[in-house]
Amino acid sequence: MSTSKRITLQQAAEVIGNGSSLTFSGFTIWRRPFALVYELIRQKRKGLHLIEVNGGPQTEFLVGAGCVDIWESCWVGHELYGKYGANLSRKVAEKAIIVEDYSHAEMLFRFAAASSGAAYAVTQTSLGTDIHNPEYDMLGRAGLRDGSNPHIARHKYRFTDDPFFDAGAQVLVPAVKVDVAVMCVQQVGEEGTVRLSGQYYSDPEAARAADITIVIAEEIVPEEYLRREADRNAIPTFDVDYIVECPFAGHPTGMFGRYDVDGAFLKDFYGRTRTQEGFDDFAREWIFGLDHHGYLEKLGWPRMMRLKANTALNYSPREPKGGK
Amino acid sequence: MEREYAKPEEYGLADLLCCAASREVADNEVVFAGTGLPMVAIMLAQKTHAPNLKLIFEAGTLDGRPPELPTSVGDARCEMGASRSSGLYDAFSIAQRGMVDLGFLGGAEVDEYGNVNTTCIGDYLAPELRLTGSGGNPDINSFARRTVFIMVHEKRRFVPNVSYITSPGWRVKKWPGGDFVHRRELYGSAYRGGPTAVISTAGVFRFDEQSGRMYLDTCHAGKGPEEIREMCQFDLDISRVNGETKPPTREELRIIHEVLDPDEIFIPKVKKG
Repeated sequence: MSTSKRITLQQAAEVIGNGSSLTFSGFTIWRRPFALVYELIRQKRKGLHLIEVNGGPQTEFLVGAGCVDIWESCWVGHELYGKYGANLSRKVAEKAIIVEDYSHAEMLFRFAAASSGAAYAVTQTSLGTDIHNPEYDMLGRAGLRDGSNPHIARHKYRFTDDPFFDAGAQVLVPAVKVDVAVMCVQQVGEEGTVRLSGQYYSDPEAARAADITIVIAEEIVPEEYLRREADRNAIPTFDVDYIVECPFAGHPTGMFGRYDVDGAFLKDFYGRTRTQEGFDDFAREWIFGLDHHGYLEKLGWPRMMRLKANTALNYSPREPKGGK
Repeated sequence: MEREYAKPEEYGLADLLCCAASREVADNEVVFAGTGLPMVAIMLAQKTHAPNLKLIFEAGTLDGRPPELPTSVGDARCEMGASRSSGLYDAFSIAQRGMVDLGFLGGAEVDEYGNVNTTCIGDYLAPELRLTGSGGNPDINSFARRTVFIMVHEKRRFVPNVSYITSPGWRVKKWPGGDFVHRRELYGSAYRGGPTAVISTAGVFRFDEQSGRMYLDTCHAGKGPEEIREMCQFDLDISRVNGETKPPTREELRIIHEVLDPDEIFIPKVKKG
C-alpha cells in the first residue's frame, strides 16, 4: 500500500503555484473541477498558463478573476447557456491576456502527443486557415518563443511534406507542456485508479500529459472495488498524484450519472459578467467568503435535488432542458 | 408516400432551416453533429428519411441513437443507445481517417468561397469582438466529404473576405505567403471535398466545385433572388436559381415539436392565433 494520496481542496489549490501551466478534465460545460477553480480564485492565483483542449465556464471564471495570463485553446463559451466567453472577450480587448488559437483537433493531438511522450503531433487539419497565419502567432509576437519558458514551444507550428507516402502538406504541432491537470470524476480509488462514466472526452490524455495530476472525485471508493472490473477503469494509479473527495465539485457544470448542468446558474453568470464590475459582484456573491460547503448550502437542497441525475437515465429528468 | 407540405403560417424560419438541413443528409451516411439546430436537423433525418445514418458527437459518441434530444454534445443523453461511447481522440481520428460524410457547422461570417469565421469580428490583432474561437469547425470542415453551414442571414455576415479564416472553404490561404489557392492544392491525400451548402435564413446556397464560388440555389418563401443578392456584400451568382426552398412537411413539424424539441430549446413553435 502506497502512502495516502488524499489531500484537501485547499491543499490541491496550493499545488498549483503562480505561473503554472494548467489543464482540466471535461468538455465545454461538463465535468469541470469547479470547487478547485473557485479555490484558486479565493487564493488569488496569478499568471496561470491555461492549456485546454476546449474551454468553458471554468475558463471564464479564472480569466474574469484575473488569474490567467495565457490561454491556449480553441473554444470558449457556455453552449446553449451563453454563446461566447464574455470575460475572455473583454480581456482580449484590453490586451490583458494572450490567446493562442489552435483548432480543436490540433489541441487534442497536442495532448495526445504529450501523453505518449512524443515531441509533437502531425495532422492535416485546418490547412489554409488563419490558425496558421504566421502573423497570428501570439506567443511569438509577445517574444515568448525564445526557449526560456518551458511551457512554450519555439514555434506555434511547422509545415512539412509527408516524407513516407507523399500524402502532401502536414502540420506539426508541439506537445503541450502541462504542470498540473485537475480532473473532476465520478470515482477514484484510494490509490488513484479512476473510473469515468459516460463519454470520457480527453481525460486520459490530459491526466497523462501533465506532470502532476490531481483527481477530484464525487467519492473515494475502495481500490479493491474498482479492481474487480479493471476494464472499466480509465486512468491507472501511477498517473495520479493526489486525490480529493468532494461531492458536487463540478457544479455548475454537469457530471454523467451524477448531476446535470445548472443552466440557470450559467445563464446568470453569462448575463452578469459582461463587465469587470459585474464579474467582481458575481464573485463576491458566489466565491469569496464561502468554502465548498458554504457554496452548496447557498445553492440549497431543492436546487441540488433537481439537478441530481436519475441513476437509470444518467441525467436529471427534473431539470428543465435549456435552463428555462 | 405523398408529402403534405405545411402552409407558411404553420412554421417559422427555424423550422424551415431545420428541415432544409435535414434533407442534406442521405441514409447510411456518417454525420458529425454540433450543439443546437444541427443536432435537431440530424435527428429529424434519423427519424424520417435516413434511419441508418451514423451520428457522431464530437465529445466522443459513435453511431449515437439518442432517444431524446441532447442539450449539448457533452450531454449524458448523447450516448444512450450508441455503438460506442469514448472520447475526442476517437471522434477526431475517424474524421481524419476520412470516415465522415457530412458535417453541420455554423459561423458568424462567410465569404463567397465558403471560408467561415467564428473567431473574431474585425482585425484579429485588435478585434472589435472576440467570439468563441474555432472549436471543431475547421477540423470537421477539413476532413468531411461535405459540410453544410447554417447561418443567420445579415449583409454584414456575407462578406467578400472574412476577418479571419477559422474554417477552410474552397479558396484558402497558402502559408507563409497567404496567397489564395484552391483547397485541393493544400490538402493532398486528405482532400475529399468541402463546403457544399450554406443554409441561411434567406435561402440555400451551394458551391461550384471547380471555381469554388457560392451561388444561390433556392430562395426561402417570400424572398427573391435580387433581394438575396442585395443581402450579400459580394456579387452573388443568381444565375442558377432553382426555385423556392421546399417548406417543412406536417410530419416533419410534428417530429420537431412533439418528439425532438417539445421544450423549444432550439426551435421555437409558431404561436397560433
